[in-house]
Amino acid sequence: MSITYEQGKKPHPNEHRLIFKNVDRRGWNPSIKRYLKEGGYEMLKKALKMDPKDVINEVKTSGLRGRGGAGFPTGIKWGFIPPDNTKPVYLICNCDESEPGTFKDRYIVHQDPHQLIEGMIISAHAVGAHTAYIYIREEFPEAAITLEKAIQEAQKNKFLGENILGSGFDLEIYVHRGAAAYICGEETGLIESLEGKRPYPRIKPPYFPAAIGLYMAPTIVNNVESLCHVVHIMRMGGDEYVKLGTPRNSGTRILCVSGDVKKPGYFEVEVGKITFRELLYDMCGGPKDGREFKAVIPGGSSSKILRCNESFKIGRGDDAKDLDFWDIPLDFDTLAAAGSMAGSGGVIVMDDSRRMSWVLNNITHFYAHESCGQCTPCREGSTWMKKVSDRIEGGTATPTDVDTLEQIAYQIDGKTVCAFGEASAWPVEAMIDKFRDELVGETSEDNDFKSKERIEQEKFLSSV
Amino acid sequence: MSSNPEIPEVPVDQNADDSKQPAPPADGINTPLPRPVDRTAVEYLPPALSVLEQNIHSARTPGEKFFPSFAVTEGLEEKANERIAQYPDDQKRSAVLPLLHEVQHRFGYISPESIDWVSDKLDIEPIKVVEVVTFYPGFRQKAPGKLHIRVCRTLSCAMGGSYELMDKLCEIARIDRNASDPHKDPIAVSPCGNYSVEFAECLASCGTAPVCLVNDDFHEDVTCDKARELLNSYQNA
Repeated sequence: MSITYEQGKKPHPNEHRLIFKNVDRRGWNPSIKRYLKEGGYEMLKKALKMDPKDVINEVKTSGLRGRGGAGFPTGIKWGFIPPDNTKPVYLICNCDESEPGTFKDRYIVHQDPHQLIEGMIISAHAVGAHTAYIYIREEFPEAAITLEKAIQEAQKNKFLGENILGSGFDLEIYVHRGAAAYICGEETGLIESLEGKRPYPRIKPPYFPAAIGLYMAPTIVNNVESLCHVVHIMRMGGDEYVKLGTPRNSGTRILCVSGDVKKPGYFEVEVGKITFRELLYDMCGGPKDGREFKAVIPGGSSSKILRCNESFKIGRGDDAKDLDFWDIPLDFDTLAAAGSMAGSGGVIVMDDSRRMSWVLNNITHFYAHESCGQCTPCREGSTWMKKVSDRIEGGTATPTDVDTLEQIAYQIDGKTVCAFGEASAWPVEAMIDKFRDELVGETSEDNDFKSKERIEQEKFLSSV
Repeated sequence: MSSNPEIPEVPVDQNADDSKQPAPPADGINTPLPRPVDRTAVEYLPPALSVLEQNIHSARTPGEKFFPSFAVTEGLEEKANERIAQYPDDQKRSAVLPLLHEVQHRFGYISPESIDWVSDKLDIEPIKVVEVVTFYPGFRQKAPGKLHIRVCRTLSCAMGGSYELMDKLCEIARIDRNASDPHKDPIAVSPCGNYSVEFAECLASCGTAPVCLVNDDFHEDVTCDKARELLNSYQNA
């Protein structure tokens, strides 16, 4: 049966849809009836007949890398649960989707909730969890209702609850709503938030969730997209799945393109099979009329910005080759070699009408607002960066302010409990690295900035 | 920790009383704006409050007439017990966020009385509820307008024109966002109490920028010329 999509939502021929197969599909709805009609929950039946170890091995074979941002292999993460564990194991689905530029999970939880739930049951079976939580961001009120309804439907059909389908495996899934804090996307912050506290991330080691997580018990935290991939790995088998994409970057992933392109949107492609040229020109229709592409943030706002006229040296020794920005394939490893990261797949595009100081200012405001305040370098630094970038954007900065800003960023990076330090510092570091001339161009030697503190101090200093 | 009886009642500005004001005309943009209401007197706290009292204090707003004052109803108890049951018996504290959501959903905001109720319900010290309420931007401590509009201000939406959308919404709803410090008090309520606006960080729909949430409804592609249409669609709500 051929699948048709809503008007104007037809997937691009370059796409390979697994997870997003049912998104924008004509005649599709989020009910379990519709999902079962397409062979839904068949993979669950298959997985429940398998030994949990075999399920984990299948995911390991598939080479699936976490889709939340860090790209850590999912199967290996699952293997970190201590073998002599006697505590209950928890599975948490991270649906906090708060990285600016990312909007893939939104469509899964709104339109295809049963795919996620099936993936979660299989994953819980694999890791031996009997309680699972979906941590969903507060800004998805409708999706929280959709998911709770889907859970009830699954319970009625005996896919959840006690003795699932007669296999002897028990599982309950609950929806837990966050409250609009970006830091809850960090897995240990999320766990603290689920425990009813402020989401101050925990330090690793020792608090690797797989060993010491929710309620100090082993906990697996996976992104929505990663958990959905598990269903497809079960269907295709790890050996078949690994053939999708490129070596070490297997499977498909959803790229979310926003900003200055003709047709922004989401595209599920094989990892590494698409270059920036294909993505931005063929799939997104190129720049807006009369404009040219200037810069791209490749993986959510915390990844380092790339200039569109750059070229990179990728690889080491004899394998080293020059690669133009436009020829970079969108996979985890090449983007890392180019000095950025694939992150969460949120591609934000800027054209030549954008002032980089304005972009930088918007980003620093975000991180200053979202810093949880636990570590001093980040709490103070993110606000300092915001103040300095306010001056640069407002045209009241001196050229040394750009250096000051750079110094602040390097003093945060690597000096905090969680990766938020890097997330807030990297965009600033990269922006100054790539667009220093433009930023300095907006400053002036004539500007003389005095902070309120400085003015107060000067009252007590006599001029010599 | 319920509100101190010695705290003087802050008088609500008479001008803000909606009953005396005509409803905003459907085409309010061309009619002259009324004299701006000075709400600063209401926003500032009497100095007699301690830091803790200031942190749990709910400022009066013109929007409060649309929300019932906090009361423990059967429905609330039932829903709360249901939420608490989602967590292990010795981990009731986990239900802080769900309970606060229940309260905010029913009563519009988190009042000092509701903080007491949540802490009693979960057998934890009230400060453990206060720290959560004051940390998360998703919880508010004063009544919003009947329609609370959260406009995304993060990069993709800002490029798509969310600042212009915010300006337009403020113009239509006659809201002065500069009246208070957005860092301390991000929510600005219109004098009539029908509308309130707030800048939100990334609402995760960057491809359809600019986007906003009106109460629990999500709206995409809301460029500033669609602002009036958006508000009008709630006329009969």
